[in-house]
Amino acid sequence: MEILHNLAFGFEHALTLNNLMFCAIGCIAGTIVGLLPGLGPLATISLLLPLTYSIPVDGAIIMLAGIYYGAMYGENVSAITMKIPHASSIVMCIDGYALTSKNKTGLALFTAGVSSFIGGTVALVVLATLAPPLGKVALLFGPADYAALMLFGFVCVSLVATDSLVNGLSMCLLGVLLGQVGTDVTSGVERFTFGLHLVADGIGLVSVALGCFGVAGIAKNLDNRDHRSPFRGKINLIPSWPDFKRILPSALRGGVVGSAMGLLPGGGPVIAQFTAYAIDKKVSKHKNEIGTGAIEGVAGPAAADEAAARTSFIPLMSIGIPENAVMALMMAAFIIKGIQPGPNMIAQHPHLFWGLVASMWIGNCFLLFLNLPLVRYWLSVLNLPYNVLFPAILFFCCIGTYSINNNVLDVLITAGFGLVGYLFIRLQLDPAPLLLGFILGPMLEENFRRALLLSQGDFRVFVSEPISGTLLGLIALFISWQVINYFRARRRPPRNPDVALEPQ
Amino acid sequence: MTAKRAPRMSDRDFLRGVVLTGIAIAFGVGASRYPIWEYGNTGPGLFPLIVSSILLLLGITSIARAFLAREAPVKLQIRLRSIAIVVVSLCGFALLSELANMILGIFFLAFVAPLASSPYSVKRSMALALGFTAIAFVFRELLGLQLPLY
Repeated sequence: MEILHNLAFGFEHALTLNNLMFCAIGCIAGTIVGLLPGLGPLATISLLLPLTYSIPVDGAIIMLAGIYYGAMYGENVSAITMKIPHASSIVMCIDGYALTSKNKTGLALFTAGVSSFIGGTVALVVLATLAPPLGKVALLFGPADYAALMLFGFVCVSLVATDSLVNGLSMCLLGVLLGQVGTDVTSGVERFTFGLHLVADGIGLVSVALGCFGVAGIAKNLDNRDHRSPFRGKINLIPSWPDFKRILPSALRGGVVGSAMGLLPGGGPVIAQFTAYAIDKKVSKHKNEIGTGAIEGVAGPAAADEAAARTSFIPLMSIGIPENAVMALMMAAFIIKGIQPGPNMIAQHPHLFWGLVASMWIGNCFLLFLNLPLVRYWLSVLNLPYNVLFPAILFFCCIGTYSINNNVLDVLITAGFGLVGYLFIRLQLDPAPLLLGFILGPMLEENFRRALLLSQGDFRVFVSEPISGTLLGLIALFISWQVINYFRARRRPPRNPDVALEPQ
Repeated sequence: MTAKRAPRMSDRDFLRGVVLTGIAIAFGVGASRYPIWEYGNTGPGLFPLIVSSILLLLGITSIARAFLAREAPVKLQIRLRSIAIVVVSLCGFALLSELANMILGIFFLAFVAPLASSPYSVKRSMALALGFTAIAFVFRELLGLQLPLY
């Protein structure tokens, strides 16, 4: 009953005219930018982050969340219609695009929209019931436990989201080191600044994010030069009843699976949609059709995608530790707005938390009833040739980074990170864990040093505390498992490199 | 067993290890210049030193894996053209905005960035430049961004 009361309270806040408008703007802007090739949720959020600076807190956060799921929806649309793969919509390129090839684009888009709605609704129930009690658990965490939890998150992200533990973990740690640039809060010493006044407060988050994901992504796209034919097909959005009946079970399954995957450290939409797809392939009534354009192959992953995107807010808002790079960016946005996510957030800012929860459902409605019918107009963005599109994106990157401090040096730093990010991509190092490490780095150091302060410099505190000891034990287990796997694989005869599967 | 390969400077996996090791050493050396312990407490140098040591280990692991790998090395493919043009257009925008005004910077961006893709068209660049300038004015007047346009 308390939940219903809280939800009603949330809707009261989310349904004000201003907040409704911010939610709608976020969803639509996110969808449009998310459609563009090479701009995933990370780039989209950092590109649109400056837009929220002048907006009041509740509105800004509602809008950012809207941008996030709008971007994910936009990615699904571009995957279905044009087979543009983004990190979080790779699965959609299989059955979604297969449906387009069969001239059933409308059906695929409708399925994705409705399933996202169902998945989002399932996740909302999970979010409203689970987040507040989890916040109470988080109060048991001491500084050593927090430090261990962040390390655990790094290892999980590296295992799940990147192709190798070594590469992912290296990028996380590199991010942590980049986060060290600036003035040390405890001692006041300026570290790694080379006397540059601008970075005395640290390197700007937007510069890192836009450089690594916006600028570097553009250069990578320019290298590829594969010309995609724009989508010209017809979109008939009204499905037949038998089709509609096929959506429901898959979407519900996807919603549950996605909600669960969204809760895990290192989890989130990417892993959720793969899991949902795999499960549908095993248990669905039409499992033989999956892969060749089955409704289930769209419904399950779309629902899981959306559900995981919602539930991944839970670790952020109740424990205060983002589980993946997108949530880390969200956390940074919260902090810019003066809100510290963590166990106290729900108690201190109930209107923010419940307003956000309610606005997520409203955002779902927007995506379903506003975006879906309008999707053919949004698609016209993709009719713009890339040589108009990419200078425009660069222009927005420039304006966005400039207006943070009204300083052109930020633009130069963005350009620098564009170059670095491009080299990393070419070295097959994924910049996403770098961003996670960059944002969590200062927090990790603070908790690490606080733990040592409390233990009077005794490093054993990290092992002797039960929670932190368990987490570090798990990390050791994961790493030894990886090492054993590596040497086992070496003993087997080498595989033919031609048939080696590209990881995710 | 296939013949052991010798890592070369064009081997992507080997280079990755070298880059990571280099970064780790740079940060580690920097960190060791700050106090590690201060007044019986952790100093500003301790944490970056630990992190860069772990990164160093990971970098060495990467190099070792490149040596141990039995598959043919993957060549590092970098086309400097696109990224160079993109970075130059951003830097030009920044410098011109600082030294002259932002409209010049916008024109520089609109005329230089499209060089990275073909076909290049002066007309389109002109249209882009005018369009961006118009958008910048809208941002300044309606959203209140402080852009030094002229």
